[in-house]
Amino acid sequence: MELENLLNKYFGYNTFKTGQKEVISSLLGGNHTIAMLPTGTGKSLCYQLPGYCLDGQIIIISPLLSLMQDQVEQLMKFGEKRVIALNSFLDAEKRGYVLRNLTKYKYIFVSPEMLSLPIIMKRLQALSVSLFVVDEAHCISQWGFDFRPEYSKLGEYRDQLGNPLTLALTATATKKVREDIIQSLDLQNYTKIESTIDRPNIAFYIEEVPNYYDKQSRLIELVCQLQKPGIIYFSSKKIAEQMASLLAEKGISRAMAYHGGLDQEQRILIQQQFIHGQLDVICATSAFGMGVNKENIRFVIHYHMPMQMESYLQEIGRAGRDGEESIAILLYSPGDEQLPVQLAESELPSEQQIDWLFSYFPKEEKLIDHFLEMNQHLREDGGFSEIQWRIIQDFIKKPLEIYSLEHLKQGLKDFVNDRLKVKKGSIHYLKKWIKSESCRRELILDYFDEEPVKRRNQNCCDVCGIQFEQYHAQAGIQSYPVKDETWKDYLANILLNGEMSK
Amino acid sequence: MCRIENILLYCLKQLNGERTIYSIYHLLNGKKSSQTLQDAHLFSLKRYFRILEPLTRESFDEIFSKLLENKLVEPCGEQRFLLTPAGEDYLLNNEQPYYVNGWRYQPFTLLVWERLSLLVQVTSNFTFHETKYIPIQKNVDVHNWLKGFLKSTSVPKQELGRSLFSELIEILELARDVNPKVLIFRLTGYKQIGLTSSQIAKKLNIDSLHFHLEFINTIHCLLHFVENDPSRFKVLSSLLANLDQNDSLTLSARKTLVLLNQGFTAEEIASIRNLKISTIEDHLVEFALNVKDFSINSYVNEEIQHQILEISKRESTRQLKVIRNTLKTVSYFQIRLVLAKYGDR
Repeated sequence: MELENLLNKYFGYNTFKTGQKEVISSLLGGNHTIAMLPTGTGKSLCYQLPGYCLDGQIIIISPLLSLMQDQVEQLMKFGEKRVIALNSFLDAEKRGYVLRNLTKYKYIFVSPEMLSLPIIMKRLQALSVSLFVVDEAHCISQWGFDFRPEYSKLGEYRDQLGNPLTLALTATATKKVREDIIQSLDLQNYTKIESTIDRPNIAFYIEEVPNYYDKQSRLIELVCQLQKPGIIYFSSKKIAEQMASLLAEKGISRAMAYHGGLDQEQRILIQQQFIHGQLDVICATSAFGMGVNKENIRFVIHYHMPMQMESYLQEIGRAGRDGEESIAILLYSPGDEQLPVQLAESELPSEQQIDWLFSYFPKEEKLIDHFLEMNQHLREDGGFSEIQWRIIQDFIKKPLEIYSLEHLKQGLKDFVNDRLKVKKGSIHYLKKWIKSESCRRELILDYFDEEPVKRRNQNCCDVCGIQFEQYHAQAGIQSYPVKDETWKDYLANILLNGEMSK
Repeated sequence: MCRIENILLYCLKQLNGERTIYSIYHLLNGKKSSQTLQDAHLFSLKRYFRILEPLTRESFDEIFSKLLENKLVEPCGEQRFLLTPAGEDYLLNNEQPYYVNGWRYQPFTLLVWERLSLLVQVTSNFTFHETKYIPIQKNVDVHNWLKGFLKSTSVPKQELGRSLFSELIEILELARDVNPKVLIFRLTGYKQIGLTSSQIAKKLNIDSLHFHLEFINTIHCLLHFVENDPSRFKVLSSLLANLDQNDSLTLSARKTLVLLNQGFTAEEIASIRNLKISTIEDHLVEFALNVKDFSINSYVNEEIQHQILEISKRESTRQLKVIRNTLKTVSYFQIRLVLAKYGDR
């Protein structure tokens, strides 16, 4: 069957997005493939569709539990039931069942921690794995902005699984990172499919405002003017909250804040309200974005300076997925780089914290793995943030040869210092980008070792010149009458499909 | 009336100055201490147990000082208060929320809400013949419950919406003093996403605690009606199926159980968890009491188990000391284990 027919039959789409078909054809031709496709081009489809052509199981390695959950849900939404996620969420009872019946599943999502367990590996080895997928493959490289130590063993796991056909997927990876991925996975012959990182329909606009106060009023002004829906990214939950209520109270937009401090139900509702057009503006932290498959986002504003180019591109990449003109605005005021530096430092445990923690470690090495898990109170006592704690847990779980506790401690400290250097370098680069007087787009392409694109239309970036009015909302269409529905009508509307009972 | 002030005054009246105001705080928070549990019984306040889990001590103090300011209560000792005549009046003029029953319903109120929320979403999408949507509830147990329900229900899929609608309407129209909006606007259906609790509170112009109480009152109202006449509410009564209340283990014991099931010894667990071995032994006794199929054979051999039970029976005692005096080689821990596992309770 033609690939297009499969696409339509299983996913209901008529055409492929950029790069998808190339990746799928390459895989079906039996080639290991490394694919760099920009955010929003449906990377997941590159392994979802081959599932209907290949016999045997598809194993997908995914770094984040929430990401994994989201991908499972997306597949199930298309009616695919043979999906399972092997991660720590799976309770012991269910896990036993799943492991005994693995052949019933087609798509098996696994976290790297799970792969390190011999019992899991043994079960996976018994399968016929037709495709080994590494999602967010940039996590493999320590040059990547999101390096995860537990990813560094993936090459070895791949080997243990008999070097199956492999797909490495990433949205944003510099040349250095891509080389790391290939080396780490030990891919001998492979096809490289790199679609450009450029999103021609997203214009860049950096605006310098003199101070914090002006920034706030400028933001309100922008949200008033711009065509919605849109996302505003903040580095602070509190400010995201404040701005959301300000925007809502002033009647400027139907806005809500979204951040990791909300409970799960609220997060899901707000995300879904936005997707269904019940909200126009989300004031978000970086927690927002995963699973937001919304086509018509017209603007993404960064109120604070992002931490690095890669995540910045992921965030603005949520705009304009329908191909229509959209704009990415960054508001900068002098000294803004201090916040990301502080954040970078606070994400990593300090030397003192590490020393303190290690003084509590048990002498027996085989117990270390469980020690942290069972002594969560140390996290609070030592003032570790969630991220700091995760970094330590990940590092300790990293299945390296441990010679001694002292060795482990030094290793952790070195790791932390290296990470800080990489992060500060990224912030520095971003500052340079903001301050630069050459084309924003060209600099980004250069960062990812891409050839400059031919001069595009007039709306490239603030340096090349931009017609700002084009992104303005048309006047008069932005009033939202308050729906004054009774609860009975509401209930009837969702349960009875128009046949309102009187 | 679902005002926290109303409930505080009622509790104070019941306590009659015999407990400090913080015993009310612990009651509303659902603190699992024997003092709080006993007080709930003793002063007939079980219905308010655990109904305000999100209440912080600060907001409790704040609300209480307003009562004092408004001269609804007066001090009668260290952190003890009585109602003033004005306070008595307030209670006479304001009814207590009609359906709230924390002791009975709070252990599964959240679960019932999650089930209802998913049931309505799925039913709504049936009604509109939509199969592609993202479930609003993520709890796997709730998903499994729903699958079970759909398999076993006698109501055809296409009529589910109508049945669910009429059952909800029937209860909420009969209900006394509830505000259905707090529940209904939270529901998600086909292409219509429900509001968050804070959005509804804002819409109704009430604070989050007031919202919380109204919401709990409404869920408890559903539970009350369904429980009293399950055959009348074919669809809603399924919300009450298999509500296992297996939270009899303490949190700490649960962690120990996880490690135990992974094959660690009691000594290793003590070391991993940085706890005394005696604490881990307490946990093992808890398992003997509460965990079905928990075998104590690796801690006490069966011969000794028989001897311990024999003596306990012969002397008709559960006193450890008496048993220990007869069986000098046996530890107190072993005796406790055996009595927990086999002694009549």
